Amino acid sequence: MAPILKLKNLTRYFAGLAAVKDVSFEIEPGGLVGLIGPNGAGKTTLLSLIAGSLKPTSGKIEFEGVNLAGAKSFRAVRAGIARTHQIPKPFRTMTVHENVEVGLRFGRHEKAAGTTKKAEEFLEMVGIAKLARRPAFLLSVGDLKRLELARALAARPTLLLCDEICSGLTETESGLILRLLCDIRRAGTTILYVEHNLRAIMSVCDPVIVMNYGEKLAEGPPTAVQNDPSVIEAYIGKKATI
Amino acid sequence: MGVKEGGNVGGSSVSRFVSVVVPLLLLAGLAAVPFVGTGPNVIRLLFMTLTLVTASVGWNLIGGFAGQISFGFAVFYGLGAYTTALSINGGIPPFSAFLLGAIVAAVASLLIGLPTFRLKGPYFAIATIGVSEAVRVVMMNVPFTGGASGYRIIDKARFVQSHHYYTALVLAVLAVVISILVRRSKLGLALIAIREDQDAASDLGVNPFVAKLIVHALAAALAAAAGGVYARYSLFIDPDGVFAFRNGIAILLMPIIGGIGTIWGPVIGAFVYGIIHEEVVANFPQAHLLIFGSLLILIILFEPGGVVGLFQKFMRTVRARSSVGSHS
Repeated sequence: MAPILKLKNLTRYFAGLAAVKDVSFEIEPGGLVGLIGPNGAGKTTLLSLIAGSLKPTSGKIEFEGVNLAGAKSFRAVRAGIARTHQIPKPFRTMTVHENVEVGLRFGRHEKAAGTTKKAEEFLEMVGIAKLARRPAFLLSVGDLKRLELARALAARPTLLLCDEICSGLTETESGLILRLLCDIRRAGTTILYVEHNLRAIMSVCDPVIVMNYGEKLAEGPPTAVQNDPSVIEAYIGKKATI
Repeated sequence: MGVKEGGNVGGSSVSRFVSVVVPLLLLAGLAAVPFVGTGPNVIRLLFMTLTLVTASVGWNLIGGFAGQISFGFAVFYGLGAYTTALSINGGIPPFSAFLLGAIVAAVASLLIGLPTFRLKGPYFAIATIGVSEAVRVVMMNVPFTGGASGYRIIDKARFVQSHHYYTALVLAVLAVVISILVRRSKLGLALIAIREDQDAASDLGVNPFVAKLIVHALAAALAAAAGGVYARYSLFIDPDGVFAFRNGIAILLMPIIGGIGTIWGPVIGAFVYGIIHEEVVANFPQAHLLIFGSLLILIILFEPGGVVGLFQKFMRTVRARSSVGSHS
């Protein structure tokens, strides 16, 4: 099968600093791909590049055969890429329902996506349907994270980019979200899941991509990646020799 | 900023009464004014207030809904006034002349919006200040409109004050209807999303640049129509009158007084401003700007929701009291 997403030498500099450097990988359709790495590894920057929130300095982002590098994020959404934010960005004075309505009415076209799901159904999926009439600024962090997910799903993406959607949630809450991600994948959406927490990602993702200092460090099945010496070094450090 | 339209939790029968019946009563009252013998001065004051309502409601589309604060609406008001004046003198019927003014202003809004809407944060606001002053200075020196000495309008129609009054009333109603339709439309949803978080809106498929351009044009057209109606009434306009920076401030001040980003806030604000302004200018000619500046600071500090915000707070307190009462 042709890959749904193909990154070729993707690079992004902030002033002199390479936040993402020469990253290349491919994602197969229907996958739940994990993207991990220590703080400051460039995970969120990479995600923002794919989503069109940031422009790459150089390199290619091929999505379903079309080069999206440099395209604005609303174009990426209409092409079928939606993202969630690590720190939720709700439309504060809108109700929860209206927040989802934005994704629904401006996201990928219904016909292209082949679904006519309503806002309520997306809220139901993430478990905040009872909060539909509430203004978003009244929501707790956990519920805001769910709203992020519901809103992104409402844009009917073929590729969903999740940025640390479980951070700040309790064990039970993140368990529910992880199960939900598995369901979404089963329904046919490819997912690229950025996570800081290794345990969460190792339990659901295959394959896993590891980044450090802006570069791709390793890629492969979770068990193989976990035992990769360079990954262990990046996370824990070198074995001390006396 | 406080809770705005759409941030309301549910809708009670009281608030529905307020938002439907009260405006209709007000409209009926305004329509009856020329028949009750209030005299030409009251009609003139209300005529001015109604043109202010139109400009204020127009400004609120871009400033309130989309959160793009513009200090430059005197440009559109003035362009509307001058285009209407030139058209009427050129033999074009008044209503076509207003429409022409609106079109000219809409085109101008695109010219201003194309470069400035690429800027984020306060830069748009700052740019509008520059544009406003630049246009005024240019108009002072344009020979075919008389430059700084102003321009006289020769209206072939006999002057009937109530005709002008009803024109302003119809235009104000049209502005409010447009505002309601925009707020309920897909565009309205995009505008509120842009105001709340432009990046998040774009991440969900909204094209912020295009949405802002469209609504800026609509807002400019309304302000221009108001300027046109004013020009036809006053029969004389000059750059220091219609293009004055203080007009841009007044157009921005009214929605803030009434409740920025709401449907009725700009209407209420225009009535408060329109009626108080004359008294203040008459009684404190040296200090009226100081008074309005202080009013602005007080509102932003203590009630950013304006009169509408104050009313919502009051209703919440009443409801809370009554529910406490019913439990005891």
